[in-house]
Amino acid sequence: MSIILGILEEGLIYAILALGVYITYSILDFPDLSVDSTFPMGAAVTAALLLAGVPSPAALGISFVCGVLAGIVTGLIHVKLKVVDLLSGIIVMTGLYSINLAIAGGANLAFFGQDTIFENGLTAPLLSSPAGDFTVTIISFVVVMAVKLLLDAYLKTRSGYLLRAAGDNDTLVTSLAKDKGTVKIIGLALANGLVALSGSVYCQKQGFFEISTGTGSIVIGLASVIIGTKLFKRASFLKTTTAVIIGSILYKACIAAAMAIGIFKTSYMKFVTAALFLIILVISNQSKKKGAA
Amino acid sequence: MMKKTIAALMITAMTATAMTACGGNSGQTSTSAAPETTAAETDAAAGDTQAASDSGATALADGEYTIGIGQFAVHGSLDNCREGFLQGLAEAGIVEGENLTVLYENANTDGGMGTQIISNFMSKDVDLICAIATPMAQTAYGATKRADVPVIYTAVTDPVLAMLATEDRMPVGNITGTSDKLPVEEQLQMIREILPDAKTIGILYSTSEVNSQATLEEYKAAAPEFGFEIVETGVSGAADIPLATDNLLEKVDCLNNLTDNTVVSSLPMILDKANKKGIPVFGSEVEQVKIGCLASMGLDYIELGKQTGHMAAQVLTGQAQASELPFEIIEQASFYGNTAVAENLGITLPEELTSSAAEMFDSITN
Amino acid sequence: MLELTNINKYYNQGTVNEMCLFENFSLTIGDGEFVSVVGSNGSGKTSMLNIICGSIPVDSGTISIGGKDITKMPEHRRLRTIGRVYQNPAMGTCPSMTILENMAMADTKGKSFNLRPGTDKRRIDYYRDSLKVLGLGLEDKLDVKVGVLSGGQRQAMALLMSTMTPIEFLILDEHTAALDPKTAETIMELTGRIVEEKKLTTIMVTHNLRYAADYGNRLLMMHQGKVILDKTGERKQETHTEDLLALFNEISVECGN
Repeated sequence: MSIILGILEEGLIYAILALGVYITYSILDFPDLSVDSTFPMGAAVTAALLLAGVPSPAALGISFVCGVLAGIVTGLIHVKLKVVDLLSGIIVMTGLYSINLAIAGGANLAFFGQDTIFENGLTAPLLSSPAGDFTVTIISFVVVMAVKLLLDAYLKTRSGYLLRAAGDNDTLVTSLAKDKGTVKIIGLALANGLVALSGSVYCQKQGFFEISTGTGSIVIGLASVIIGTKLFKRASFLKTTTAVIIGSILYKACIAAAMAIGIFKTSYMKFVTAALFLIILVISNQSKKKGAA
Repeated sequence: MMKKTIAALMITAMTATAMTACGGNSGQTSTSAAPETTAAETDAAAGDTQAASDSGATALADGEYTIGIGQFAVHGSLDNCREGFLQGLAEAGIVEGENLTVLYENANTDGGMGTQIISNFMSKDVDLICAIATPMAQTAYGATKRADVPVIYTAVTDPVLAMLATEDRMPVGNITGTSDKLPVEEQLQMIREILPDAKTIGILYSTSEVNSQATLEEYKAAAPEFGFEIVETGVSGAADIPLATDNLLEKVDCLNNLTDNTVVSSLPMILDKANKKGIPVFGSEVEQVKIGCLASMGLDYIELGKQTGHMAAQVLTGQAQASELPFEIIEQASFYGNTAVAENLGITLPEELTSSAAEMFDSITN
Repeated sequence: MLELTNINKYYNQGTVNEMCLFENFSLTIGDGEFVSVVGSNGSGKTSMLNIICGSIPVDSGTISIGGKDITKMPEHRRLRTIGRVYQNPAMGTCPSMTILENMAMADTKGKSFNLRPGTDKRRIDYYRDSLKVLGLGLEDKLDVKVGVLSGGQRQAMALLMSTMTPIEFLILDEHTAALDPKTAETIMELTGRIVEEKKLTTIMVTHNLRYAADYGNRLLMMHQGKVILDKTGERKQETHTEDLLALFNEISVECGN
């Protein structure tokens, strides 16, 4: 039971990150590597704020805003300074590393005992109830659903339409008399905001910030998006955002299963992830070819 | 389409299994003779453990135990901790393969992986979690807060700063362990004795390691008392180290090495550069002296691990609650010197140090 | 009125590959004109459109619309009053979005792309009616993704979308070239109808000499960055496909093609 809860908790929290990656990678067609640093940025900001006595929901909001700013920087570097998309992300990822250290005042910052979105006066009765073990899962689920519904709603607005068009056919954006650069910046801002939000939720669950938590976030995000979107491609009753969330949970389940069965040593885990990743990509490419023929 | 995808997933899983099977000797983590990061070391560990049980020095403790060891990174000192930990348990009659099942996982410095490792341990109902290094200890604490699994940590430099203990060394929850806080003052005293005329000490550290930063602050605070000035250079990764070393060597009379993971990994290169300039490098633990640091007033991580193992044994056998045990530090620093290095540098290690040395080396192991 | 004055445009300036595209090129297009532009490959037809739209910068010279200098105006701002249909049918629509969403998006052009609902439900009937005019049955497929439509259907939509909001200029960049002859015919008829209905000033680049002769009230033939034939009104009516072909052969021989 606890392993399933563990998977759900991790999967749901990382689903917020995956939704951010979905915006950049799938909608905007922008391989944004800055995610590896915006995720820990959300955590660093949250740790620093909670220790300063800021209420946990506010920490979520401020983390989101910080992520938005980071996304804007990536966007400006790409659009205004005309740096290739991949490199813009790498530049921001590298620079943010130091900024994250500065925000947290070090590589590790613990805030055990502070009120978080999971542990506070309101959740105390729930925590002490028999359903206490489900608290983190329930709260994560609520946050993820809120993010998902808001994102779904946004993608149906005029601005959301433009964002979808920008990834699909940016000539059309220009034809609609809109600056495609601005649209990209908005997309990156939103995506990195979600990634930082995910980092904030993750860190509130953990009780500490650690600079290394960002390592490989982009891979987790991409894997979740690809698993979700490719596995459920034909399941038209599912919204893509829902598929991405399920993808994130499936990804975490794969890792947990591999670990529980004890087939793989954790040191092989990255290799396993890479293999899984590649195979899903290859299969989806093959089916794409068939579809085209 | 769906079927194919699932089939492919299965194939991936099987392929990866096959590869793992080729790569390592056995994929099974549980009940294998010993953790398998570095074969040589762990074999030794198994030998020692075995020896302890064979010699019959201690009787086996009652009961069967399963513990999970989560280690944050692959690193010589941390591996030694783990080795010592199992020895410490064995000395208390809890012997791997006899009445102890050990699950070992390494997070390879991936914080996200750490969480899954701990949750895997929890799902397997381990009796105790041993967390090696600060992030792993914090993860374990966060995850076990609501469960009744005691956590014993080691190699956490500052448990108070990590919020795992209060100022009076008492645990904040069902978690305790040992600190690998370096004996800073003793080390400075030793450097002063070996190099009476030295004025500046260079320290390389990586900005991403919280332990290094904390230790560095201590050095800076204590240095004036011994007439030293600390010159530090922060690096953000192994790639920065060559240039940072060259730069630092221009400015200092000697180098002092912390337990910084990144820097320690590059130690052979640093030693090489320092030797060419005839600048002595001091280590922070025995392994570093073995591979060419002049001397160290430092930790023996095996000893630290053993001490941790003893604490774990108390908790496992019900003699004590983790929540009631204050965290421990190694009170006495021991001197380690390397005479081969001293000879190369034309330095004579003072008699009063060598006579009380825990161990002296007369060669440089590569 | 659109005016191009003394436009100079070189490619790879200062290198051995330097190529002069336009030298002191000037052209005036009056309101309500429907200009057909023909010319061999590399004659500068598409480059001229790109210069008008701001897709490529000029080295010197001015571009003005209605007396207002727009030389420095970025492409997307110019396109506020310009509708453009490309040769590639995929350029004018968004394949992963539905027909309805595409129509709604085109309808929002000129307004703020804010957080209001992307599709205004009250406009759906209007979109359906507009699509019905195409006679392609698209009005019954509003929720179908544009990506599954044929090139002709997409191009018809692109034409509809680019003329949905009030524009001053319609720019057609070989917009029938990628279509089969029958579909091209349909799209061309549709073009004529829309231009007439909305009284749009239009510039149409085409390789089809018959379309050039049959449609529009002004005909330009371009060659090596210059206008070598410019017929308006009645003189245009007298020009037939054969005459154009003859002239075309002449310049081609000259070029050694």
